Amino acid sequence: MYDRLFGSVWLLLCAGLALIAWGFQAPFSYDPVGPRAYPLLLLALIAAGSLWMLCKPSVLQHLLSGRQTLRALLCVGSMLIYAFLFEPLGFIPSTALATAGLGLLFGGRPLPCAISGVLMGGLLYALFDLLLDVPLPLGVFEFLVE
Amino acid sequence: METLNFLAQGFDVALRPINLLMALFGAFTGTIVGMLPGLGPINGVALLLPLAFALGLPPETALILLAAVYLGCEYGGRISAILLNVPGDAAAIMTTMDGYPLAKQGKAGIALSLSAMSSFIGSTIATLGVVLFAPLLAKWAVAFGPAEYFVLMVFAITCLGGLVGDKPVKTLMAALMGLALATVGVDSTTGVYRFTFDSLGLSDGIQFVIVVIGLFSVSEILLMLEQTHSGQQAVKTSGRLLFNFREFCQVGWTAVRSALSGFVIGTLPGAGATIASAMAYINEKRIAGSSGRFGQGDLRGLAAPEAANNASACGSLIPMLTLGVPGSGTTAVMLGALTLYNITPGPLLFEQQPDIVWGLIASLFIGNVILLVMNIPLVGLFSRMLSVPNWVLVPAIIIVSMVGVYAVHSTAFDLVLMIALGVFGYLLRKMDFPLSALILGFVLGDLMEDNLRRALSISSGELGILWGSPITLALWTLVALMLVMPGIRWWRARGKARITDAAAL
Repeated sequence: MYDRLFGSVWLLLCAGLALIAWGFQAPFSYDPVGPRAYPLLLLALIAAGSLWMLCKPSVLQHLLSGRQTLRALLCVGSMLIYAFLFEPLGFIPSTALATAGLGLLFGGRPLPCAISGVLMGGLLYALFDLLLDVPLPLGVFEFLVE
Repeated sequence: METLNFLAQGFDVALRPINLLMALFGAFTGTIVGMLPGLGPINGVALLLPLAFALGLPPETALILLAAVYLGCEYGGRISAILLNVPGDAAAIMTTMDGYPLAKQGKAGIALSLSAMSSFIGSTIATLGVVLFAPLLAKWAVAFGPAEYFVLMVFAITCLGGLVGDKPVKTLMAALMGLALATVGVDSTTGVYRFTFDSLGLSDGIQFVIVVIGLFSVSEILLMLEQTHSGQQAVKTSGRLLFNFREFCQVGWTAVRSALSGFVIGTLPGAGATIASAMAYINEKRIAGSSGRFGQGDLRGLAAPEAANNASACGSLIPMLTLGVPGSGTTAVMLGALTLYNITPGPLLFEQQPDIVWGLIASLFIGNVILLVMNIPLVGLFSRMLSVPNWVLVPAIIIVSMVGVYAVHSTAFDLVLMIALGVFGYLLRKMDFPLSALILGFVLGDLMEDNLRRALSISSGELGILWGSPITLALWTLVALMLVMPGIRWWRARGKARITDAAAL
């Protein structure tokens, strides 16, 4: 069932991408293949695989329940929020928030999660930015370094 | 003799203080990453690679670090397998069969030290194999032209489908998706933008680090979310901590035999440590016959998979170093690390960059000794780390991944791209697509297209060059063999089923 769904989505995707790939043309070229042939070849092979999945779907064993899907969505959501806050807020506050939030999602109790968030934000910043020279955004703490 | 000179030069590189320090650090982190259930060598290498790059480590140091992590993971996987009955990485599945029963009988200390010793035997024999065979293969591979390389890569990819077994179509599709992902960005020969959708972030192609971390760390975290159990009780290590001489004699030959078979399997593209350890275990079980108590705590059943998986990890470095064609997901990531440094692995690497190659090989010997020494006394410390709860561990993994990706370009776009790739990888895993095939495809993507186009440029568009030489013909035969292999296996399984059906009637 899911195999069929997946196969058809890929088939559509391949068709769409192939349409895009058809437009790849070099204004002038000295190599006989050009930029178009190789992607088209790959897409054709993937499409063949998708067709196989449509015709001979296999049985999947690990399916998700509704609750697990919700948790997965929450996890992806909090990672996205973390990514978007990373630069504006800066590493320390955004990391503290993300650590606390994700900790709660993974079954921690509120107070320990909050503590680990603050510790992780501060300590990892010290480790990466100060000790290891990996530049990280300061964000709201920018005013401290003038 | 020449080899010995090079090896001495390699030890010279590997014994520099910074390289020793990195080997020590890598061995330690690798053991921890390998031990934590769910995180395997790919995750360890993927997490440390961007950091190594951002720290500005020289290429040989970075490679030594990654190799130490790789070896350390193969050592670490056995700790949770023995104490928790949960394999720390896929290759340690066979270690649980006899390791956990031994731990339950109160022999956890013996099991841990003996398996560390077997791991040591396995890696040492395989590293000797690398010293002997890698230069030979490199010399021979200099004769390879673009057409030969293209066919060799086709072979590496079909090997995955033929050897990994139960779902060949999905494996090949995953590899093709990886190849397709690699075409994103500006085409190096003609300057045409492909699949960039007018996005500036994609015009340079998708960064290797982002793909690896997204596919492996982020999707792994989403998988960890599904496990409801947390903080399992590990079996206490009590009693004698070290094996005695009699026990060692009992497993000595087993370890040597398994190391040899593991090494050979490791050098084949596609067949990694998981297959090697399973085959070694089955072999030893057959050799022992009725004298073995396999499955109930036989020491040989513990030594065989451990020696084999370490040996195959070292063996898989051979195709990566000599041909530039990785044989496993982890070596694919290491190959990607080399290309980050603008170093193209391949036969010429042995001549042009002997420091890197031989430094790496020498560091394997050193890393092994470090791991053996570290693993026997520190096992108590490591086993205590198994009780770190997920609500601390998972955020830490996510943060280190984010920092690693951010360190490459310092743009938030890359972070979002990483998460998107992670969700994609998670869905693929849910659909039973093997991600290591995808990463192999992604790493080989550019090389494969370049070689194909170069070959066809040489022949000015004549396709015949792809099967014009004896080497290409031999490789195409192997490709065909790999493609029909799953079919043959399926056919034989059906035949057997029919016989048992007939017997049942």
